Amino acid sequence: MKKPLLVAFLLLTLILGACGGGSLEGEEVTITGALIGEDQEGFRANIAAITEATGIIVTYQGSDNFEQEIQIQMESGDTPDFALWPQPGAVVDAAKRGMLTPLEDLDIDLDEYKSNFSSYLVGLGTVDGVIYGGANAANLKSIVWYQPAEFEARGYAVPNTWDEMIALADQIVSEGMNPFCFGMYSNGASGWLATDWMEDIMLRTGEGVTSYDKWVTNELKFASDTVTNAATLLSQIMHTENYVVGGTDAIVSTYFGNAQDPMFSKDANGNPGCFMHRQASFIPAFWPEAAQAGVGVETTVFPFPVIDESLPKAALGGGDMWGAFNDREATKVVAEYLLSASFHEPAAQQPNNARLSAHTGFNNDLYSKDINRILGTIITDALAADAFRFDASDLMPPEVGAGSFWKEMMNLAVEGPGYIGTAMDNIDKSWP
Amino acid sequence: MGGYLLFIKVKLKNCMKQNTQEKKLFNFGISTLALAIFPLFWFLSQAILFRELTEIVTRNVLVLIAIPLGSTFIFLLFLGMNKLINFAPKDSRDVLEARMFVGPSIFMIGLFLFYPAVRTFYLSFKDRYSNDFVGFENYVWAVTDAEMITTIRNQVIWLIAVVTLTLIVGLVVGWLTDRLNKGESFFKSIVFMPMAISAVGATAIFKFIYEYRPPPLTQIGIINGIRVSKGDNCYNNRIIDGEFYGFDDASCVAPVGWLQQRDLSALPIAETLQDGSWLSNMFVNLPINTLLLMVIMVWMYTGFAAVVFSAGIKAIPAEIMEAGQIDGASEMRIFRSIVVPYIKSTIVVVGTYMVVTVLKAFDIIYVSTRGDLETNLLAVKMLDEFSKYRNFGRSSTVAVIIFICVLPVIIGTALRERDNLDS
Repeated sequence: MKKPLLVAFLLLTLILGACGGGSLEGEEVTITGALIGEDQEGFRANIAAITEATGIIVTYQGSDNFEQEIQIQMESGDTPDFALWPQPGAVVDAAKRGMLTPLEDLDIDLDEYKSNFSSYLVGLGTVDGVIYGGANAANLKSIVWYQPAEFEARGYAVPNTWDEMIALADQIVSEGMNPFCFGMYSNGASGWLATDWMEDIMLRTGEGVTSYDKWVTNELKFASDTVTNAATLLSQIMHTENYVVGGTDAIVSTYFGNAQDPMFSKDANGNPGCFMHRQASFIPAFWPEAAQAGVGVETTVFPFPVIDESLPKAALGGGDMWGAFNDREATKVVAEYLLSASFHEPAAQQPNNARLSAHTGFNNDLYSKDINRILGTIITDALAADAFRFDASDLMPPEVGAGSFWKEMMNLAVEGPGYIGTAMDNIDKSWP
Repeated sequence: MGGYLLFIKVKLKNCMKQNTQEKKLFNFGISTLALAIFPLFWFLSQAILFRELTEIVTRNVLVLIAIPLGSTFIFLLFLGMNKLINFAPKDSRDVLEARMFVGPSIFMIGLFLFYPAVRTFYLSFKDRYSNDFVGFENYVWAVTDAEMITTIRNQVIWLIAVVTLTLIVGLVVGWLTDRLNKGESFFKSIVFMPMAISAVGATAIFKFIYEYRPPPLTQIGIINGIRVSKGDNCYNNRIIDGEFYGFDDASCVAPVGWLQQRDLSALPIAETLQDGSWLSNMFVNLPINTLLLMVIMVWMYTGFAAVVFSAGIKAIPAEIMEAGQIDGASEMRIFRSIVVPYIKSTIVVVGTYMVVTVLKAFDIIYVSTRGDLETNLLAVKMLDEFSKYRNFGRSSTVAVIIFICVLPVIIGTALRERDNLDS
């Protein structure tokens, strides 16, 4: 069964070698990854453009079981040319096992790559100073969802700074309404929304990204002034009376997917249940269907407000990353295309695209959806200032990032501002 | 072989004293041959055959021929063992044949139950990656870590409350349905019905019952729905002329996130109780979410207990009951002095079953809160340590703790079985 295939392959390479004459026309490059559904369609549109330009037949196959499959493929040596991981940590893991080809061997201009994708993103795919991972798409958490029509009708301005947001919140309270939606219950992961808030505040206070990076490694303790201050600011949102619709009990008890629903239901006076909801860019998938249609127009976002104006505009988010398994000529060409600014253009123009390019040179006007243009701009700005950061709790050891940090944030919500010191001490103590 | 056998038989006749020793030795030889060497040879030949086959035929064909080939081999195994055992003297064949039939299952249990259990025990003394020995560190963690203590506390509450409640409610329901003149089987099947629902399904149902939405929204959980519509001018889902009037004023009762309450302090009842006495303190600190999750299990297993008890009650001779009635005993008295003593062994069996079920309780927690807000149980904690925190040592330790908890039940059952056999 294998023999005919082998013969065919040999013949094919012979023919190609004979008449190709250095051209890569007809060469095959395979990419596997975790993108499926709409995302897969978008990615296939992107690589179709490579095929058109170079003649290299690039194929992408996504699987929802990708991470296990690629492990098996790596064990058996039967790897594709590229793998696109949803987490940079997996790239580092594969690189440490000696599976991946450094980008330098793929003739990538590393300085240009760093300036295009920010040295932080590049650093996430680096092992011992050698760059293995290629950044691709990014998603965003540093956003606050709001309804512009409701703001305009009441003469509210979008807050650019924390103080402005607090002033606006106080005004909304004084008018008998609740400014924030806040729900952080999540089966087995309750508390992650509060850790996201903490991370956003951390990026905008103290020394900004510098103290943030120290915090991730526990070089900067939770009990330090900077982190305690961040918790105090968060507690201001959670515990100021009437700030959160439903009060403290709602923060702890509301499933995060339902948290924004009060914004979409209006009372007899036409007032919504809340005006602002800080949540990641994926949340529209949890909205009621009627609200989903208005994403980007009826309900849109403003960037998480600036706290310390001397710091660069930061953004919190995540992103995926690819690694290459060989340094064939065709692989090199495809790698260069993957890192080009125009790579994401075909997908961006698709009507249901939800993926955002992590290339700072990407033309954000090309996104078909309004919301993507806004999100894309925030990401690009943050990356250009090298102030884009990954979710700290994902980078911390699981005992903290998926354990005590979440749990103590839940306790903080219940116990009130007096608990901040205890919470911070408890998290520090649990650090392995 | 046959000649040797004959030789033995001759010797057997000649010398009775010496022969017990030799007979033992001979039996040992036969059983080693039949129950160890031959099966090993059998296993190896089969393994080699299949290894060669994988090289020749494709996967699909292999799957097809594996089934008839495998069963043929099993047949050959027993045939061979039987032939070997036939060489043994007649009076010891029975024992050997018994061993022959029990052997494979003991082997399987050893491979899939005993070996993993021993290995888990071994791993519980190693670190998170199972590399280095850490002594009793994991066990110290298990009894000092705050989350573990909460988990053990919950497990104890579950054990006591769920088992007791299921037994009591099951007994009462079983007794009452037995007294029905009409429709006994109908009511019994209704009470039994939750058993037919999977624990996951039952938990999903109860999750809807306890569901919470932030106050301005319509409460879709029935408990909160009733709560918020209590009192004048308080409504759950009020829409007048297409306008949504769900916003309640402050005087109305607020909904409660039932599965998120670690104590009763969010309930108005707590305020009336806060007089500082230890009894009211204890009441206020009741872990309401854990209690509400236990309701699911009680609801599921009450029907089972009731049906089993009802069968036990049916077996009570009518004369005894009648004698009780004629002597003027009240229903309560008959229940206490005749029914309960009569079905005591049934109660113990159901109780044992419930203890094991509660110790294994996993799906209810996994589907509802996933252990958040101090509702965790040992079985879920074991998985958390394994997959969430990736600490194999601690995970194994939790597994060992669960096993230690089940141990008294196993020993108790074994002792009872022995008593039953003796009597």
